[in-house]
Amino acid sequence: MTELLEYIQFVLAPQMITGLALGIAVVLVALGLTIIFGLLDVINMAHGEFYAVGAYVALALGASGVSFWLLLVIVPLIMVPIGYAVERGLIQRVFNTPDRHVTTLLLTFGLGLVIEEALKIVFGPNTQRPPTPIPGAIEVMGVILPIYRLFLIVVGAAIVAAVAIVINMTRLGAIVRAAAFDRNMAASLGVPVKQVFAGTFAFGVALAGLAGVLLAPIYSVFPTMGRDFIFLAFTVVIVGGMGSIAGAVVAGLLITQVQALSSLVVSPVWSDPIVFGIMVLVLVIRPQGLFGRLGHA
Amino acid sequence: MTRTTIILASLLATTALTAPAIAADPIKIGVVTPLSGTYTPIGQQVRWGLELATKEVNAAGGIVGRQIELIFEDEEANPSVAVQKAEKLFEVQKVDFLTGTVNSGSTLAVGQTAERAGKLIATTVSFADSITGDKCSPNVFRVNARAGQQSAALAAWVAKQKPKAKVFFLGPDYEMGRSTVAAFKKAVEGLGAESVGEVFAPLDSKDYTQYFGQLRQAKPEVLYTSVAGNDTVRLLTQMQDFGLAKNLLIVGASGTVTSQNVSAIGVAAEGFGTGVGYSTQIDNAENKKFVEAFKAANKADPDLYGADSYGLIYFYKAAVEKAKSTETDKVREAMRGLEWMTPQGKKTMRAGDHQAIQPMYVVRVTSGQFKIVGNVSGEEAIGADDCKRF
Amino acid sequence: MHDGSVVQVKSRPVIDRLGIAMRASHVLVVLFVIGGIVFAAIGTAMGDTFFLRLATEALIFAGLALSVDILLGYTGLLSLGQALYFGLGAYVSAVVLKQIPSFWAAMAAVLLVSLVVGFAAGLIANRVRGVYFALVTFGLAQVVAKAIYNTRALGASDGLIGVPIVPVDFGVVTVMSNAPAGFFLVTLGVIVILYAISGYLLDTPFGRVLIALRANERRVPFLGYSTRNARLAAYVIAAVVAALSGALYPMLRGFVSPELLFFSTSGNAVITVVIGGVGTLAGALYGGVILTVLKSVVGSMTENHLIVIGLLFMAVVIFLPKGLMGLARPQIERLLGREAR
Repeated sequence: MTELLEYIQFVLAPQMITGLALGIAVVLVALGLTIIFGLLDVINMAHGEFYAVGAYVALALGASGVSFWLLLVIVPLIMVPIGYAVERGLIQRVFNTPDRHVTTLLLTFGLGLVIEEALKIVFGPNTQRPPTPIPGAIEVMGVILPIYRLFLIVVGAAIVAAVAIVINMTRLGAIVRAAAFDRNMAASLGVPVKQVFAGTFAFGVALAGLAGVLLAPIYSVFPTMGRDFIFLAFTVVIVGGMGSIAGAVVAGLLITQVQALSSLVVSPVWSDPIVFGIMVLVLVIRPQGLFGRLGHA
Repeated sequence: MTRTTIILASLLATTALTAPAIAADPIKIGVVTPLSGTYTPIGQQVRWGLELATKEVNAAGGIVGRQIELIFEDEEANPSVAVQKAEKLFEVQKVDFLTGTVNSGSTLAVGQTAERAGKLIATTVSFADSITGDKCSPNVFRVNARAGQQSAALAAWVAKQKPKAKVFFLGPDYEMGRSTVAAFKKAVEGLGAESVGEVFAPLDSKDYTQYFGQLRQAKPEVLYTSVAGNDTVRLLTQMQDFGLAKNLLIVGASGTVTSQNVSAIGVAAEGFGTGVGYSTQIDNAENKKFVEAFKAANKADPDLYGADSYGLIYFYKAAVEKAKSTETDKVREAMRGLEWMTPQGKKTMRAGDHQAIQPMYVVRVTSGQFKIVGNVSGEEAIGADDCKRF
Repeated sequence: MHDGSVVQVKSRPVIDRLGIAMRASHVLVVLFVIGGIVFAAIGTAMGDTFFLRLATEALIFAGLALSVDILLGYTGLLSLGQALYFGLGAYVSAVVLKQIPSFWAAMAAVLLVSLVVGFAAGLIANRVRGVYFALVTFGLAQVVAKAIYNTRALGASDGLIGVPIVPVDFGVVTVMSNAPAGFFLVTLGVIVILYAISGYLLDTPFGRVLIALRANERRVPFLGYSTRNARLAAYVIAAVVAALSGALYPMLRGFVSPELLFFSTSGNAVITVVIGGVGTLAGALYGGVILTVLKSVVGSMTENHLIVIGLLFMAVVIFLPKGLMGLARPQIERLLGREAR
């Protein structure tokens, strides 16, 4: 009996908590992705690279003395005009072609390549790491947990809650949801649809950048870091339901828990195949994901 | 003018006309190395090392009076691209010699291409034992230390630090990762240590915390890891964040912590030990000169890849001078058994398997510097000759 | 009211636009083949090895691009994991050749394996479309790539070297796989045959169903055709084309490695098709050659070649959605169209 309790205390519980921290990280990255798809019907394959850009901007500004707390505000603000420009300048151009899904997928795929290379040229190929903003760890029932990870869980949850409130309970959110539901109707009601689209894309991208700032001390910063999360983020978005915030949260936390717990029993090699298997299963049984689409009932 | 003066003058004139013609034909060395992608930091060090040595050799008159010309191609850490670029260098630019491949897959494939093209290659980075072991090739030479040599040195030191210790192994899940873990495990178990667990994490894992449960349960005194690059940064910093690094002796493969990632790892790298063929702290005149020149040219410290690549040019120079030719068969003969001086000391190229024998150092990271804490002689570290092809 | 007169409606002959487009592609491919033969002749005359082999490699990867185009251009499905079949074909070919150095044995084995695997995977992949299809194909390729990466018997992460040079026996003439010009022509032949088969199939009623699927999938069943079978068939054909192309790779280079299944291989194929021209089939061939040349030239000039290619790709997606064939084909279509009347 004590062995079981010990196992739960020293192995299972810590595993679940770190799984939770990873889960919040994935949710933060997937959140922007699902909003962009839910509203714009655009699959942003460059999302991982925007995450990387956020991390690099934080690194550069942090190195010149800007404090971490300030970065949490500044970096997303910097990402907004970037995202806006990308949407108006690139995505809008191919938006009205009949093959929109494929074309935007290809376009953002190319954009991702270009951004990744640009980061390598500007910052060099070596790994860099900003210092942990809240160093130290606390001991809870014999298990050591870094304070920063707990901070992440709290902040991540707060951000998700904030986004959910903005989208569902504010007038701005209502406008966004209306434009997602029926573009033409919203336009005829006076909603500046083009600006709303660009703004939402910028918002999604800013979320990715924010995730980059928060995760840089844990996962370090290097030009190909965008690929770290992208497959997992897409899986979360698919399983949760494209465009659903609640879906992204639930799926994100669920899948990372499955990953964390499965690595206790099977070899880590199976980690990715398991995630893939979950995705295929969901697609086969319930293709619209766990929850519906943004704006739709 | 007297007759003698006229004769002397005309002789001088003719030599002045012909001399440049002889020196003009450069020796071309092709370099197929990753200049983009995840392995770029290694390719960068390889490039720096080769360029520095080439500059020095050319300034001193080149090889048998001919200047060395380096031609770089990006292999993108993909053996298909490496083979294509290697063939380009062999057939179009007609290089005399080729080097630069980083991962063992590329080295093996390019080695095969070199055999078919009748040229020689050398690797300064790949440390899979198979390259000079069961997959050896008469056209492939290796000047850097292979996995077996690294483990021999490290295992001896670990056994002295923590006799009969419990060791946990964490490697990246691919050939190099598994073979380095296997090599070290064999070496250290032979010296009395006990293995308490083994985990292979996928390459580019971002979160190693999922293995910490197992690690804690096993309660090891020593952790051996052969991750590299970003993975090392993440593993070590995450371990430190979780307080796992306390009371744990962390050691690893020579590519795990290098000058390219040590600053990103920061304080978490303190105390990390490895068996390696090079350290900037090696105390001899040649190394001091090398480190200074390298730092001046590149504003960065050399690591083992930079140092081994530097030494390669001198190896090739010695071989060509001995063979008095750049012809493949003659150079190969000259390379077998060749001894030459490098910043690491004297290296000998073993004829039986084309593997360089060199003194191995045990190095510990102290305040961001790679301090030498032990060494093992070349003969002790080298291990058996497993090559049966020639 | 009914005064018996019949209103004469001047009927115009029905112009089969799709048929003409297909024929335009055929014309371009014939030009391509002629160009290839000329290239081989020049190469042999100059005693060249590298450029002929590079061109052969370009053709092999063009075959992969062809398979991507079958899915993307006709069924409208973007596969981000077609390298799975390419790599599968390469590995099966390598393993067979190491035991039995016979070209035909290898090709037959690859054909069989790809039919089976393509069918099985197709059953899973074809339950979804759009971005889901892209991600499922991506995931499948990743999983299999990982499996091979960790299989010692297949060389694990180092791949397999030591594939011998094989004689390609056509009865009247035998070409060795290391003969630069000879094997180039063999590869050209194989790829053109794959193109011809694909082109033929896509010009049949079956092919028209696929095009209908791309245009408006929901309506197709109302016309009496089964979408599921059509899509599955297209997927299997694409798999076989990719695998047979991949089978040629170890014959050329003497080795295989897991990188052949990685996303970069699939991604390059997509870039090739887009630059060449989606839905033209010929675009895959021309695109393959152009991309190889571009990478080689730009790659030697700078190590930042990926950014150049990425920017070019984005420019093509935005400004030249029909790819390079979109510039060439309309001219040819006009010529052919005039003939049809």
